[in-house]
Amino acid sequence: MGMVRGLLGAAALAVGSALMASTALAQTTITVWSLDDENQPALNLAREFSEMDNGITVVYREIQFDDVVSESMRAFATGQAPDIIAVDNPEHALFAARGAFLDITDMVAESDVIDPDSYFPGPLASVMWEGRLFGVPKATNTIALYYNKDLFRAAGLDPDSPPETWDELVETARTLNDPANNVYGLAFSARANEEGTFQFLPWAQMAGGGYDNLNAPGVVEALELWKTILDERLASPDTLTRGQWDSTGTFNSGNAAMVISGPWELNRMLAEAQFDWGVALLPVPHEGAERSSAMGDFNWAIFATSKHPEEAFQALEYFASQDPRLFPEWGQLPARADVDLPETGDALKDAALKVFLEQLQYAQPRGPHPEWPQISRAIQTAIQSALTGQMSAQAALDQAQATVDGILN
Amino acid sequence: MKRIISGLWDGKGFDIALVVVALGFLMIFAGLPLIYNVVMSFQKVDIFSLGTFARPFAGFDNYRAIFADPIFVPVMKNTVIFIVASIVGQFIIGFSLALFFTLDFPGSGYLRGLFLVSWVMPGLVVGAIWNWIFAGDFGVLNFALRELGLIGGNIFWRSDTNFSLWAVIIANIWLGTSFNMILLSVGLASIPRDLYEAAELDGANALQRFWTITLPMMRATIGAIIALGLIFTLQQFDLFAAITSGGPANSSNVAQYWAWELSFREYDFARGATISVLMIVLVMIASVVYVRSTRYEVRG
Amino acid sequence: MTLEWRNRVLVVIALGLAALYLFPLYWMYVTSLKTGSDIFATPPDFLPRDAKWGNYGYVWTSRGMASYMWNSIVIASGTTALTALLGTGCAYVLARYRNGWIDVALFLVLMLQVLPASLMITPIFVGFSQVGLLDTPRLAVILALTAKTMPFFVVLVRATFMSVPAELEEAALVDGNSRIGAFFSIALPLARNGILVSAILIFMQAFGEYVYSKSIIQSPTLQPASVGLNSFMGPNTFEWNNIMAYAAIYVTPILAVFVLLQRRIVAGLTSGALK
Repeated sequence: MGMVRGLLGAAALAVGSALMASTALAQTTITVWSLDDENQPALNLAREFSEMDNGITVVYREIQFDDVVSESMRAFATGQAPDIIAVDNPEHALFAARGAFLDITDMVAESDVIDPDSYFPGPLASVMWEGRLFGVPKATNTIALYYNKDLFRAAGLDPDSPPETWDELVETARTLNDPANNVYGLAFSARANEEGTFQFLPWAQMAGGGYDNLNAPGVVEALELWKTILDERLASPDTLTRGQWDSTGTFNSGNAAMVISGPWELNRMLAEAQFDWGVALLPVPHEGAERSSAMGDFNWAIFATSKHPEEAFQALEYFASQDPRLFPEWGQLPARADVDLPETGDALKDAALKVFLEQLQYAQPRGPHPEWPQISRAIQTAIQSALTGQMSAQAALDQAQATVDGILN
Repeated sequence: MKRIISGLWDGKGFDIALVVVALGFLMIFAGLPLIYNVVMSFQKVDIFSLGTFARPFAGFDNYRAIFADPIFVPVMKNTVIFIVASIVGQFIIGFSLALFFTLDFPGSGYLRGLFLVSWVMPGLVVGAIWNWIFAGDFGVLNFALRELGLIGGNIFWRSDTNFSLWAVIIANIWLGTSFNMILLSVGLASIPRDLYEAAELDGANALQRFWTITLPMMRATIGAIIALGLIFTLQQFDLFAAITSGGPANSSNVAQYWAWELSFREYDFARGATISVLMIVLVMIASVVYVRSTRYEVRG
Repeated sequence: MTLEWRNRVLVVIALGLAALYLFPLYWMYVTSLKTGSDIFATPPDFLPRDAKWGNYGYVWTSRGMASYMWNSIVIASGTTALTALLGTGCAYVLARYRNGWIDVALFLVLMLQVLPASLMITPIFVGFSQVGLLDTPRLAVILALTAKTMPFFVVLVRATFMSVPAELEEAALVDGNSRIGAFFSIALPLARNGILVSAILIFMQAFGEYVYSKSIIQSPTLQPASVGLNSFMGPNTFEWNNIMAYAAIYVTPILAVFVLLQRRIVAGLTSGALK
């Protein structure tokens, strides 16, 4: 009898402490801010992680692309920052360099899930600052040339040999340009925001320049080429004020024969484009020239002010462990070399994916530099003043270089 | 104490209390943020020091930087063009409509009400709609102008440096016409009829009556409308964000958008604040104009 | 020209002007009924080829608009009430006197409204976070928004009080009313129309606000429809027809109320309080 009572007591104690433990666990709430909506990975992964039986609840907030930095800065300055944030890769250094992000180098070293060596060098460089790790790449992307094969055929061009050099690109655009039918030869974005920089830098890099070498002769040539394209109306004048997504919209509706954009367009294009299309690597300045491309997409980071860094890191581990689902489910490219991308069964998509994966090998990060927004701004200003004819390409890029020098030195 | 209470109950204390409560509220929720901006314009602001006032003093460095910026002059020029063109456009259209509807024809009350619609529309929606109307290749405005034979080729309202600022001005005039029209209607309605009748007997024609009766009697209303119009115009931000983003090449950039760009695109809050101080100075001048205009008001 | 003909011509002109003026609104409704590719058609279709009424139901449920709309109503009502409460008395006093101090007060009311919300939000956010107002985000937005709408309200209502003859109030004082009594029994009832109408105009403004709400209200369940629309309109959107459907759902109720009330609104503003 005494024995039974003792056992019961022990059991009650055990149950009680288990209950206490679980309520203590359940009290951990972490907040995640990201721009993803229900059709994109972050929101879904955060929800899944929250529903797991790990005592961690995730509060997810969707933020607009344009508001990510200003909202999180304001929150950080007032002690309201979330635990985890998804930030655009060129802006990562802005936070990391100022100690706003948590240095997770040691946590990653002990992690079985996250291995820095498995990431592509470009995305990895964007989460590093002074040799330390301040985040994990969330996904990656780059840009290439989409082209409308039906329009190629109609114009007597070979749909299997898209333009490979800048000259060929312009020539092809001239051939395909058909104002009478509201078809432009090419669409891209030279908008005065990060998108303009993102689209222009690959051209500068291919020509031997870069964000720190903007007035190299090749860069001037690239900008002059852009001006030729606009002056001859091979691309819509709205290229100056339209983003990549809207520009690609005109390609999908058959109003542009080629467009420079990224893999994030694939799903929409498959649904909307009523024609045969393909993807080619970005044309290079001349045959045999070095390739280059832009590296886009977001990184995960934990704010240094997080009260639950361990739990936040667990969430990052979960997100990283789900990288193999990124492409099949949401059409995004994991930033890792060790994730196999299975065939989707859609010939157009699989062919496009191959090109993007090859293009990704040439992708270069923007920066990293904590003053990136100002560097980018100088580049945008140069693009816009040259394309509107307010300055010559040379003068505009000289001015941009002077501004960038002032920031870098 | 008793005097204060009875003062509150009767006499001037009551009046002062009414004003003080309202102004106090405004000082806290609008005045302090404004002061924060002014203080920031004299400091070196770091994006992560937003939460504190204790920041290094920068003297007039920010002002010097703004004045030396190559886009300072074009932006200020655009701002003045935007304000003047918007206010003049809103006022002339609003006044014409208000006068037109005083003609008293069947249904004029209903029809006049329709012109208030732009007041009801959220700025966000207005911006998106005009963005569509102005689109270069498939926009409906270009289509209409082409069909009417007014233009040969498409005008790229948003992307042509000659038109971008005017695109925003057109949208802003549309937006502001309603409040101009309604306030001017109020003013017109308060002019005693017998003044016109007397003038008519004296043989004054319509134009003379307008110049000698309508305009002078409307002085106070016009002052108020122009002051409010200036504030609404200076506050106009949504349309720039939706239609041109201040571009291309800053051809449609104005002070308020530039200040926002510096603060939230380059994260240079001090210079953003500096521009807002310059805007405050501009509005101070306008407020003086409004306050002076109230001198001519007639008590009913 | 007979009177009848004159009237007909005027009505036609008025209808023409109204059609021109209302075109952007019409374009919103037409676009909301189009299919995705129909939007980009050249030449544009002035009537939807195949009206997609389903866009409305889809947007209402998929974007969870019910809670957004409710929050918009809460914020707009709160702002209107607070503005009217604080602004009416202020406008009354500013209309009653004529001296240097009144000039200063009027000047202040206008001055404090110079900057666009996009520039005011940072200091407001910082201040609110320090006093803990961010924990009641909708109240915080109402407070910030009231400060923004007040000048317009004061200017309008002040004009209404100007049209209340001072003699009436003086007579009431002679009859033994207190100052407060005179305000509540004479001035306020006579200015009622103007106040109501101005309040409606403020409500409409507050209903569309989004800069403050976007930054201050972080939980989607408390956000107003404008913020919902803003997040729907992100840079990578292609659902312009659905966005316009959202916008149409958003503005139509207020438009309907407005059309029903507009005669009173116009009359309330145009006819002086005593006419």
